[in-house]
Amino acid sequence: MKKNRKTLLIIAFLTLLVVLGFIIITNKTNVFKGLNLLIIVIILIVGVIAFISAFKKDQEEKAGLTTEDELSNLIKYKSGYHAYLASMYMWLFIFLFKDKFPDVETMLGGGILMSSLIAYISKVIVKKRIND
Amino acid sequence: MTNRIKELRAKENLTQLDLAQLVDVRRETIVFLEKGKYNPSLKLAYDISKVFKLKIEEVFIFEQ
Repeated sequence: MKKNRKTLLIIAFLTLLVVLGFIIITNKTNVFKGLNLLIIVIILIVGVIAFISAFKKDQEEKAGLTTEDELSNLIKYKSGYHAYLASMYMWLFIFLFKDKFPDVETMLGGGILMSSLIAYISKVIVKKRIND
Repeated sequence: MTNRIKELRAKENLTQLDLAQLVDVRRETIVFLEKGKYNPSLKLAYDISKVFKLKIEEVFIFEQ
C-alpha cells in the first residue's frame, strides 16, 4: 500500500511534466501567462501539498506511528463538509461567469483544481478552529 | 475544559510522542489536547487517565 502511493505520486508527477512539455512544444508559444499561468500555479501548489502530506504520512508509517486517529478523522469530516459547501458556491460563480473563460475545458479543469485548493484551505481553517 | 496532561507527562518523564504511542493517537493530537484546542472523546480521556493511573476527573477538569 505504501509503495503503491509512492509509485502513484511519482507517475502523476512525471505525467504532469510530460503533458506540460508536450503543450509547450506543440503550441510553440509562451504558456506561462494569463489564465494558463494561474492553472499551472494551482497544479503546482496542489501537487506539492499532496506530495508533502504523502511523504509525512509515509515517514510516520515507517516509524510505526498511528497515521489516523479521532482528531484527524474529525478534521477530515468537518473540513470535507465545509469544502463541499464552498465548492458549490464556487461552481455557482463559475457558471455565472462562464463567458469569462476561453473554453469549457479550461472552465471545468480550473473548477476541479480550485475544488482541491478549497479542500486544503478548509482543512487548514478547521484545524485552527477545531473546538469552535 | 482544561487538563493536566502537560504537568503529568513531565512528572512521568514522558514525551508527547511517548504518550501518543501509549494511547494510540498522533503526536499532533497530544499537542492539541495540551493547548486546550481539542476536547477528547470519552475513550481517549479514559486511556490517557489510565496511563497516569488517575481518574478522568483528576486529569481533565470540567468547568461549568
